[in-house]
Amino acid sequence: MSRLEAKRASLCKSEPLTSERVKATLSVLKGVVTSCYGPAGRLKLLHNGRGGSVRTTSQSAALLASLPVTQPVSKILTTSVQNHVSCFSDCGLFTAILCCNLVENIQRAGLTTTTAITLNKHLLSLCTEYLKSEICACRLPVDFGSARPLLCLARSLLTSKPACLLTREEVEHVAALILRAFLLSVPENAQDRITLGKSVIVPLRGQRVTDSTVLPGMLIEIPEVQLMRILPIKKSDSFKVALFCASLSGDLSETGEGTVVLSYGVSLENAVLDQLLHLGRQLVSDHVDLVICQKVIHPSLKQFLRTHGVIAVDRVGVALMEPLSKMTGTQPIGSLKSVSPSSYGSVKDLCTAKFGFKHFLHLIPNEATVCSLLLCNRNDTAWDELKLTCQTALHALQLTIKEPYVLLGGGCTETHLAAYIRHKTRDEPESILRGDGYTQTELRLISEAFCSALESLAGSLEHDGGEILTDRKYGHFWSVQADSASAVNWPDLLLRCGCGLYSSQEELGWSFLKGTHHPFVPQTCLPREASESASDLTLDCFTAKLSGLQVAVETANLILDLSYVIEDRN
Amino acid sequence: TVMACRVVSKRKHMGLQQLSSFAETGRTFLGPVKSSKFIQGEECHESVLISSAVRLLENLDLTNAVGQLLNEAVQAQNNTYRTGTNTLLFLVGAWSRAAEECLHLGVPISLVVSVMSEGLNSCLEEVVSLQVPVRNVFDLIDNTKTFSGLETFNTSLFPFLQIPSGAGLRQKERDLKDVTSQSLAVSSLSGRPVKSPELFRPQAKVETDKNTSQTSQALKNSLLANTRCRKSVLTHSRHFCSTDNNQWISKPDGFLEQHGATTPKTYECNELVELEVGLSHGDHNSMKLVDEAVRLQCKSAGVQHGNCSRPFLLDMSRIFTCCLPGLHETFSCVCPGYITVVSITSTTLIKELQHQSIRVILIEGDLTENYRHLGFNKSTNIKTVSESTKFQQESPEELWISHVLQVLIKFNVNLVLAQGNVSERLIEKCTQTKQLVIGSVNSNVMQAFAEASGAVPVAYVTQVNENCVGSGVYVTFWRNVPFDAAVQIQRIAIMLKTEGMNLVTVVLTSPVTAQMQGKEDRFWTCAYRLHCALKEQKVFLGGGAVEFLCLSHLQILAEQSLHKGNQGCSGWLRNTSSWLASSLALYRPTVLKCLANGWHRYLSTILCNTASYSSEFEASTFIQHHLQNAVDSGSPLSYILNECSKQNSGIFNSGISDKLEGIPRVYDIVTPKIEAWRRALDLVLLVLQTDSEIITGLGHTQINSQEPEGFLFL
Repeated sequence: MSRLEAKRASLCKSEPLTSERVKATLSVLKGVVTSCYGPAGRLKLLHNGRGGSVRTTSQSAALLASLPVTQPVSKILTTSVQNHVSCFSDCGLFTAILCCNLVENIQRAGLTTTTAITLNKHLLSLCTEYLKSEICACRLPVDFGSARPLLCLARSLLTSKPACLLTREEVEHVAALILRAFLLSVPENAQDRITLGKSVIVPLRGQRVTDSTVLPGMLIEIPEVQLMRILPIKKSDSFKVALFCASLSGDLSETGEGTVVLSYGVSLENAVLDQLLHLGRQLVSDHVDLVICQKVIHPSLKQFLRTHGVIAVDRVGVALMEPLSKMTGTQPIGSLKSVSPSSYGSVKDLCTAKFGFKHFLHLIPNEATVCSLLLCNRNDTAWDELKLTCQTALHALQLTIKEPYVLLGGGCTETHLAAYIRHKTRDEPESILRGDGYTQTELRLISEAFCSALESLAGSLEHDGGEILTDRKYGHFWSVQADSASAVNWPDLLLRCGCGLYSSQEELGWSFLKGTHHPFVPQTCLPREASESASDLTLDCFTAKLSGLQVAVETANLILDLSYVIEDRN
Repeated sequence: TVMACRVVSKRKHMGLQQLSSFAETGRTFLGPVKSSKFIQGEECHESVLISSAVRLLENLDLTNAVGQLLNEAVQAQNNTYRTGTNTLLFLVGAWSRAAEECLHLGVPISLVVSVMSEGLNSCLEEVVSLQVPVRNVFDLIDNTKTFSGLETFNTSLFPFLQIPSGAGLRQKERDLKDVTSQSLAVSSLSGRPVKSPELFRPQAKVETDKNTSQTSQALKNSLLANTRCRKSVLTHSRHFCSTDNNQWISKPDGFLEQHGATTPKTYECNELVELEVGLSHGDHNSMKLVDEAVRLQCKSAGVQHGNCSRPFLLDMSRIFTCCLPGLHETFSCVCPGYITVVSITSTTLIKELQHQSIRVILIEGDLTENYRHLGFNKSTNIKTVSESTKFQQESPEELWISHVLQVLIKFNVNLVLAQGNVSERLIEKCTQTKQLVIGSVNSNVMQAFAEASGAVPVAYVTQVNENCVGSGVYVTFWRNVPFDAAVQIQRIAIMLKTEGMNLVTVVLTSPVTAQMQGKEDRFWTCAYRLHCALKEQKVFLGGGAVEFLCLSHLQILAEQSLHKGNQGCSGWLRNTSSWLASSLALYRPTVLKCLANGWHRYLSTILCNTASYSSEFEASTFIQHHLQNAVDSGSPLSYILNECSKQNSGIFNSGISDKLEGIPRVYDIVTPKIEAWRRALDLVLLVLQTDSEIITGLGHTQINSQEPEGFLFL
């Protein structure tokens, strides 16, 4: 007998942002992301409290994936950040912190929601237009003739993830590898449409970071015992490859529901094996040299192939299938029935390699746009972090091909942008308001909220109690020891600005970021030689940051716009 | 699920405290004299005797997140190098205390991270000077000079801790009773027994001190060895810039070299026995077995390749250990071939198979009727029915067994080695038909048999064809076991051999079952140490020399940065433009000193563990004294070596030094050691930078009942 239960009414809360609980949750979330930000960011130890795997991280991708946020308002925030990260990899924390700051500041400004949202949008487009314009002074064009900006970008990304536990030499080494892996994935003969290849990250845990390396082609890990059996590999100009995504293990996976009744003496297993051996004969007569299977190959089929001089490698896993198919030009075969000769592909050469304790079959392609980044790090959690960082860096480099610019990092873009907005709202408010009927006071209030959100975002880079200054010429970011308030001679205390472009020896005039603001006109139009003179710049991915800025503002608008939360309690 | 977030570091850093308290449990494992721990399971009352960090952490219940990180780090070191885990565990403790000290002194976390990793890097560059090349150790391999011949030599040389002109010899003899047995002796500047570096003596206190009289001889040996150490030492070194007698030079590869009058003579280790004794760290029993294994392998490699022309490396995959608990220690030995235990019911069969060449097949998986290869999913919904009843007398297993027997008979196979389990019923049947079936065979052993006998491993018996069958295997009883012992355990040990097989079995025996694991571990530790030294072709001068060099180097760095300020600062901050970069000079000496304290603790704990000093304070004072001298001299490396030569010339005349040939030094392996340091510091810095713990999947109530404070909820 089934029991009927009356449906419970949905719970409806109005003005969710005024609730203390929502505020508290948002502030915990803000605390978590803010404390992770930047090269000196603090790490979070993620675990389930019951002996599950432990992860130490400061990256938004890892952090947000394991934060089971239930509170709806926080959930909006984390979901949009995760969406941003899944498209652009980088700048997740930037987006999350900026969004939190905006919500907090705009609420405090006390304007009506519609006013705030509209003006916020205006300010956002002011920012994006500026960042995309030629006069933008926090953007550098990337010339692919020189490796330096790309190397700086990779290096900046690596240093901003402290949980990778890299020394300076190791950062240099990995940054160079990332760049090489990226360059190997760019096709040599570029036509009007470029299709980028793939860099496959091959794990090698427990080894030293400096043992990491990049190889063209692909590495397939195989057990030593199996390797012994395929040796020696015959010499040839080209090897014919068949790639199977179907299991060749000889089991009957699709018998469906119900019971299959067989007569005594009939063996389904043998029937399937016969089918497999038939397939084997076809492969041999088609002169296939290498059979790769995503899943398992039946030992008897393996034995058959081996005796006919065909190398068989199984259990390569789903992750390698796409790059393998791309590199060898094969169509993955999904059926055992018959194999069309057009599905075969080829590789130029085959050899074996040993790294650490692992043995690999190395597939060398005819035209290399697929490469393997063999990545080492001493312990598991640091390896996971390094892998994620390398993926982010490779992605950032790919995005840079599309939009060949980089942004100045180290907080300088944020402070400069804030200075630019302040100057614009003060000196040319009409150009922003566009006759929408909002007053200049309203604009000034929102712009103050917006700018201080950007500035406190930049300030989040500091975790050791230092103070942040900004200069009155370029509007860049400078950090100084806490108790050095109103020191007479700033140039002696300061070194370089956050991105490393300017030195304190220039007469700039500094003021505290948190103090009262003396509006100034930040210098626009970055001189070309400025970027070329500085050797070690901190840079950010242009596309990712621009998207992060948009996502942050739009998500903040969405959160501010919430008037009811309706919870289905059934 | 609810996510909770606990703030780790407030005023006191919880993570670091947890780390240091975990590491404290492994303090007694450091150094040559280890005290074992007895671990007893509460539920099943099983107990095990452990004396290494790996085994300790394996047996601890580490649900705590920081503990788990520690366990991961120790396991990773063990999986990669099989050694260095005790050092790792201890340094984790020492450096987490150091990091905490820095926090108390108000050093910003980012600076602690930066300066500590810079400090360790600088140490790593410095200790390159103490590397000794290992070259051609197999050139002079002969059977006249074996490991056992050198067993009685003392292996303790702490290069700078020497006995000053005859002082305190008597006192030394007395103290030695506590810690040493015949094969080791120790010496120290103050006449007290100093660490006999890394020598493993769990039974030291049990064994009676048979020959105190030998200690003075051993002492002499140690001092004599120092003369040799000085003799073969070098001329120009950057490390000697402050001293007059520039004898040492450091070659580009970091190795020390002597510039003599005629030709440059390299300071190197080129004798196998010398290397082995140096790396045994006092565990002569284990190293003796390793030595025998190496000689057997080298011999068979020589047979195979005509000579040992290419550099011979110890092939770890061809060494197999067979543990026979219950037998007396003296049964431990090394034999060529494969030794394993089989049921006593096979005795008659083996008697029959003895003295004849038999054929073998190798099975990769289980040898049972229902075994299927990995990745094969068995369908559960298949039912076989039979039209008539006459076929149903035999069960599927019986059918399968008769099929297997048919194959074995068809190919004339008398031996089956299976990597997995074997059906009991099959073993029984095969015994009747004179076929020996052995299960649970190690994969390396399978590989060795495959190579030597020509057999090709298969997954199923149905796959067997003539090409898969190997031949030329001989089976025999393992000679040493007395029959009554065999009856007791209902198993007998047998030996399988094939012409040209380079497999070596090390039989380990112990009357105490609880000691078996430790014994096996110690054997592998020695074996991997030697393997690593041969592979890297270099070793460190051991006995605490590297650690002392690190200690004094950091001390000097700290003092230099105190005087010079920011100049010559190689510190690296991730964020180079931060204000921290300019405050680096201010905090640097403090952090470097804290890091150095870690080394200090390391050395004094070793001294304490060897019972040379009754208190850590005493040991600490002793090290402090030498540290001061080394720092004052301006070059710690030259201090270590000069101290040696000064004292030796004071005591010995040239007559004695002739006898020095063959007296071993103590060596340490290079990469595993420095990797252990690096991993230890990495872990400490990782935890230091962690400010909160995020616990996923715990309900409010659970957390509230455990610890009410310090949690925030999302």
